[in-house]
Formats: sequence, structure tokens, C-alpha cells
Amino acid sequence: MTNVVGKSPIKVDGREKVRGRVQFPADLYKNGALYGGLKRIPVPCADILSIDTSEAEKVPGVKAVLTAADIPGLNAQGVLFTDMPVISSKKVRSVNDIVALVAAENEDSLQEALGKIKIEYRETTGVFDPIEAMNPDSPLVHSDRESNILYHVKIAKGDVESAFEKSAVIIEDTYKTPTVEHAFLQPEAALAYLDERGHVVIHTATQYPHWDRAEIARSLNLPLHKVRVVTTAVGGAFGGREDMTLQVRLCLLALKTGRPVKMVLDREESFHIHCKRHAMTMRYKTGADKSGRLTAVEAEIIGDTGAYASWAPNVLRKAAVHATGPYRVPNVKVESYAVYTNNPFAGAMRGFGAAQPPVAYEAQMDRIAEELGMDPLEIRAINCFQEGDVTATGQMLHASVGLTECLDKASERAQEIFKEKEKDISPFKKRGQGIACTFYGLGYGNGFPDTSSAVVEVHEDGTATVLTGATDVGQGSNTVFAQIAAEELGLKVDDVTVISADTDVTPDAGTTAATRQTYNSGNAVRIAARKAKKILFKQAIKELNVNTDMGLEAKDGYVYVKTFPQKRISHSELAAKAYLAGLRPVGEGNFIAHSTQLDENGQGAPYWPYAFGVQVVEVVVNTLTGQVEVENVVAAHDVGKAINKTAVEGQIAGGIAQGLGFALTEEVELKSGKIKNPFFSRYLIPTMADMPDIEPIIVEEPEPSGPYGAKGVGEPAMLPTAPAVLNAIYDAIGVRIKELPATPEKILRALAKKDSAK
Amino acid sequence: MGKIAIKVTVNGKKYDLEIDPRLRLIDLLRDELRLTGTKEGCGEGECGACTVLLNGAPVNSCLVMAFQADGKKVLTIEGLGSEEKMHPIQEEFLKQGAVQCGYCTPGMVLSAYSLLKKNPQPAREEIKKYLAGNLCRCTGYDKIIKAVESASQKGVSRDD
Repeated sequence: MTNVVGKSPIKVDGREKVRGRVQFPADLYKNGALYGGLKRIPVPCADILSIDTSEAEKVPGVKAVLTAADIPGLNAQGVLFTDMPVISSKKVRSVNDIVALVAAENEDSLQEALGKIKIEYRETTGVFDPIEAMNPDSPLVHSDRESNILYHVKIAKGDVESAFEKSAVIIEDTYKTPTVEHAFLQPEAALAYLDERGHVVIHTATQYPHWDRAEIARSLNLPLHKVRVVTTAVGGAFGGREDMTLQVRLCLLALKTGRPVKMVLDREESFHIHCKRHAMTMRYKTGADKSGRLTAVEAEIIGDTGAYASWAPNVLRKAAVHATGPYRVPNVKVESYAVYTNNPFAGAMRGFGAAQPPVAYEAQMDRIAEELGMDPLEIRAINCFQEGDVTATGQMLHASVGLTECLDKASERAQEIFKEKEKDISPFKKRGQGIACTFYGLGYGNGFPDTSSAVVEVHEDGTATVLTGATDVGQGSNTVFAQIAAEELGLKVDDVTVISADTDVTPDAGTTAATRQTYNSGNAVRIAARKAKKILFKQAIKELNVNTDMGLEAKDGYVYVKTFPQKRISHSELAAKAYLAGLRPVGEGNFIAHSTQLDENGQGAPYWPYAFGVQVVEVVVNTLTGQVEVENVVAAHDVGKAINKTAVEGQIAGGIAQGLGFALTEEVELKSGKIKNPFFSRYLIPTMADMPDIEPIIVEEPEPSGPYGAKGVGEPAMLPTAPAVLNAIYDAIGVRIKELPATPEKILRALAKKDSAK
Repeated sequence: MGKIAIKVTVNGKKYDLEIDPRLRLIDLLRDELRLTGTKEGCGEGECGACTVLLNGAPVNSCLVMAFQADGKKVLTIEGLGSEEKMHPIQEEFLKQGAVQCGYCTPGMVLSAYSLLKKNPQPAREEIKKYLAGNLCRCTGYDKIIKAVESASQKGVSRDD
């Protein structure tokens, strides 16, 4: 029985957040700080002929106008390949490119100087469609490469051809998902300066301060220990704060001017500086026998990574690994590609390549069920993964497969909520239900060193401090780590302080992404706390006069003998005595997630563990306006163990909201590489008024390697929503939307086509 | 550009200020008075992160010029509750888990405060409609709705 884990203590940073006292980067002010700004050219595709900064430099108050020549180290950045210039000098490949940086005493001088930088350029022919870009005759986005195809992965198992021949039903179709924006509420901002030691310091909102430090050091030609990245409060991230945006550029301005420099982007600039979700085209062929058992899946997935790689290979690998859905499929052939274009670059976004394929594979499941006269629930129940099953990559699911329980609980609850409601509400208002099942492999995967470190120190009064490099992006990792340390040490959450994500102070815990921090860093914190406790127990052996620490337990502020609980010592007294005896209860924990590389046929154990989720939704479609109202969502998620129940429910509801946006409204509209709607007035994310009633169901099928059995829920929460909504729309009005978002225009067009076909 | 003089009361404190006439209310609050609890999310009145109360009515402070606050009272998140005790709406946001990244929170809390002042017992649909101008990308709004419902049930609007 746990004491603190599994409860929902108030968020450790909640009080300052709810009072508006917590500091995001734009809230930091430093005396003498300059205003920093970025210069772009108004086209996505061009050769730069010349850059003249002389007029800009003459503007009163301007302290620096920097171009590529001012970079002391590598003029390139990127998480996997350094293919994005810090400052572009010869070529512009996308609207993301920056051609100059300015620092000035005030906003007016900054704007005037940005306007006075003269850039001569010649527009070049770009390529904006990834399928076109795969053609060998297509213009190359990166002229040093032989092809625009950045990455290709194949998964091959069994024999799809002969399996299709024997199948009773085959469904073949193509599905598309658009470019999507993270739309976190806090636009990029940062403050950089040289500290009293001459070290470069930047305060910013990032998902991985240690990675940022490496990129800054590389471009500024500094050793790592002379660069400090301090993570402020982070106003949402969702994958959009993994690549370099302001970090290297602002540090360069601070280094060159010797002054503090602050930069705050507006929403339009924010849309242009960070990555997007990969638009994908997914061609599917799915077969089943007459009992509804899947026989084969063939899929081709093409992802548009825009002008820069960011995480594209990992995203398209994750798409491939998850392409068959959480189902047993004996014969599989998947080809997945990441392709360069001159569109804005794509990278990580909640789901990370596992969010797009469900739009295809869950529609295919419903269509097979319809052909066979089966219930959508039934076809999923007979195909879904059970413990001991083998995935498309040949991976054995040896533990923690809570999918059937999710399916049972979600469908039972949906029955109770949805029952006896009218399907035909009026001649033009139709109600429908949809279901979707998804899975998600946690972590970086594919054998990558996926490591988290943490330190736990117990002080002489018995309270404790946790040091972790992990960024809390709002999801509550600091609270989860405080709970884990408190649980191990027998303390209250209030007795623990978590210091996170400062490269001068905290050990590297990897990135807050891939739904990995509860699992990875949670394990690291637990190991560290246990080591610190072990040192305390050395003293407890003496104080309690026992022969070994084996029978000791730390709970409720005491260390006591489990078999004789009267024998105990308070944690604070024990810590004080340990310190007097010269002991220092400090523990360091290190955890590496397990995965293997895929072989040439895409076989291997690319991720571990897997989280599972099932959502059932109820929608009302207005056939006159094409509008979809989502009334109810029942969401069952197997998280292994909910360390913090309220936080898990919060992730589920937040994931559903993002899934609804993905399903119904969100699309970064691109025209020849330019973003047509970089504003919240034209890029529509769900409001409170758009939200359905949400019923979260937490399923806990413990993962043996997780802390207290925990896996994770951040990304998995959003995966089933969009496909479930699309299936519900079909159930309501009999039209299948195969290209997201399902806007009223698309629904009306599909209805008109259906009517004319009659 | 010439400066203009304004008198404004912010969170009960009176200020006589000389300001740039181009200044927006949000800039006055954040850059001049360093009340940084008011956040900027979009600059076009779509997200509500910059919500403050101007003479008791919620406004997007990115769409109001600072001089328009002349002679008026402004309430920001820093003015809600006291040093010792948070406002009950803030308490409920904490208890219900309505806060994730916290960037929308100040504006959301002030909009909720404004709603409960106007209508102490709003129906769920009224809450959803009234707060639809405050965007949140983290929570899916579910716990925020619960926090406002819970604050309403406790009759908090009459406490202050």
C-alpha cells in the first residue's frame, strides 16, 4: 500500500500559478536589458545575394546587427541532423529561416533597424507537396543531398500478398492529416546575459535544457560548463519546445553585445519559429477473414517534414511501428517516408507519429466490421492485443497490456451514458457513436540511450530536496517526483522540494517528451530516494538497535521495524543523528529505458512499455450546416499506475481537447510554403464551449519496470479522440471523412456527393 | 512622442503616471507596474490570457489602450485574495486540479470571478459560454468547469 503515490496532492507549483506569481520567460526583467529581434525575408524559397546591415547599424540605440559571419562556432542546429542554419546566409528554405538578428535599447529602435536591413535575394522554385518532392526531378530542398527523401523505414512480417488472396474482406483507401500547430498559450520568450563569471546564461521555456545547452555551446564555441540554461515556468509545450528557436540566437546577441538581451515573440512569430505536426498521407489496405480476424495490413505513410529534419526519422518510425494499431496482424508490410519540402518544418508534437495512423487504421476497422455485419466493438475485441501477443515488429508484449479492460470499461460506461437517446433528433440533426482503440510506445525508442538521472538529498531536519533535469511543462512532473520521493522516504509531499531543469544545478534527465518522464525520471527519483534512505537506515540500525536494515520501513515521518512497529524513530531525529555521525544521506539515481533497434525488416523491440487507450464518443451532426457537436467522451486509459489521479485525469481531458481540434478544426493552411493563418482568430483550437462531457476511466495494469507500476498518459490521451469522432460522424450521417479536419464544408460536400450518388 | 498623464487605480492602489500614448493596458501593467500575472497570448483578443477587470468588467488588456484606463479601477490577478489567503476561486482551481501550465490561469480565474459576481449560481452551460473567451491548451477545460461549479456551490462570490 502506498501512502502518497496514487493520491492527488495539490500541485507543488500550483499556489504561485493560481496567483499569477510564477515566472514565465517574458516575466523576467533585467536592468539594462536590450530588446532582441529576428529578421526574415517574405518568401520561403530564395537564394540570398547580399545582406547590407549598414543602415540598420546607424539607427540610434542599435547595439548589434548580426549575420551568419558573426557566429563563432557551428552555424547549424537540429536535434538529429544539424540541417537548420542558426542564421541563413546563402539560401532560404522555408518561412522559418532567420537572416539577421538585432539588439537595440528600445522597441522603436529595434523595429526601425529590422526594417533597414537590406537583403537582395532571388526567389527560387520550391517544392511544397511531399509526394511531388519524392520525384527525382523535383528541386532539392538541400542541394547537398541526392534526394528529398530524408528517411525510409520498412516493416515486413509474413506474406501480405497471399494473405490478401485468402481474405474474406479487403478495404483499401487513402487518409490524410494536415499540418497542425501546438498552439501552446505562451509564445516563445527568453532572457540571455553573461553572468559575473562571464558564462552565458539563458532563461527560457524549453522541454530539454541540457540539449539546448549543447546546441548553444556548439554554435558559440564554448565548453558546456560555461553555458547555463535555466528553465522558467513553461506555458505549454506539446513537442513545440524541443528544437532551437530563440536559444542560440539570443545567446549570440548577449555574447556579442555583453548586455542582457530579452526577446518576446508575438503569436504570428511563434507560428513561424517552432515546428509543426507532420502532415501525413496514409495509403492503407487491410484484410480480414470472415470471422473478422485481421489477416494482413499493408500501409504506405508519407510525412512532410518541411525544410528541416528535426525529429522526422523518429516520428515516421513511430508512425510505422504503430501503423497496424493495437491489433494482432500476422502479415504486415509498412513503408514509411519522411520527405523534405519547402514548407515550415515539422517535428515533435503530442503523439509523435502515433497520432496520425489511428485516423486510418480505426476507419479501416469500422469499415471491415460493416462489410462483415459486425459490431465495431466486437471486431476490436477479437483482434486487440493481449498479454503474450506479438506486434508487427515481432515484439513480445510480455506484461502490462490493459487494452481489453479499457475496451470493456469504456464500452460499458458508454452504454450507460448513451443509452436510449434519439438517433434522429430532427430531420437535420443526427446523433452517432464512434469508438477507437490506440496504443503508444513510450520513450525515444529504437535502442537510443534513453536515460534519466536524479539526485535526492535528505537534510538534517529530515526534509528532502530532489534535483532533476526534467522540465515540468505543466503536466505536473515536479509534483509526481515529490510524491515518489515522499513515498520512499516516508514523508509528506510538503516536506520535499523539487528543483528542476537548470543545467548548472540539476543532472540530465532527458527531454520532457515521448511520455517518458513519469516512467524514466520517476524511476530515477525512486532509485535516488532509496539510496538516500539506505544511508539513513545505517543510522537507524544503531538507533533502533537492530541487526540489519532489511526489516525497516520509512512511513508517516517515522522509520520503524515492520515486525515490531512500536520500535521507531522520527525521520527528523534520525536525520539529525545521521548528520552528527558524519553520514550524508544523498542518493543518485539513473534509469535507462529498454529498447532495441529495428533490423532491415523493421523487426525488433523499438519501445517499452506500451500504453493503451479506448475512447467512445457521441456526436450530433447538423446536416444543414455541417457542424459537429461532440456531446460525450468516455475515455479509458491503461496508465500502469496513476501516481497522481488528478493529473492523469487532467492529461486525459487535455488530450481529448487536442484530439477534438485535430478532428474538427485545426489546420495550418499553407500556400506555397507560407502560413495563411498564423493567428488564433484563424487557427481555431477548442474553447470551453466546444467541450463535451468527459468521463475519464483510469485502468491500472501495472508495468513491472515502472515506478509503482506506472507507464504514462501524456501522449496516449489524445490518440483515440479524432478517429472515434470520425467513426461517430459516419454512424450519424453515413459519410466518411478521410481528410482531416472534418470541417463543415467537407461534411456538406460529402453529404452532397452521397445524395447525388443515390 | 509626447507623454500623457493618467490617474489609474490598480488593485486598490492609486497611480499618477506619465505614459506613452501608444501603450496598451497590458504593457502598462506588465512593463511599467511589473504586475506580470497578466499574460499575453495572442495580441488580438482571442485567447483571454490578458483578461483584467476594468471598473468591474472583464476586458482583454491587449485590446485596451492604457490611457483608456484613466480615472478607472483595474483589478489584476495580483489583486485577488490577500497575502495570507487566496480567493476561494483560486482555492478551488487548486483543489480541482484546474491548473496545468498556468499561463491561462490568471485570466481564467478573473473571468470566473467576473461570472460569479454577475451570476453566483451559473448553470454548467452558462459557465462554458461565459469562459469561452479564455483559451486553455492543457486542461481540456474539464477541471476548470468543475472548479467554477465548486466555487459557485460554496457561495464564494459574496465573500468579498
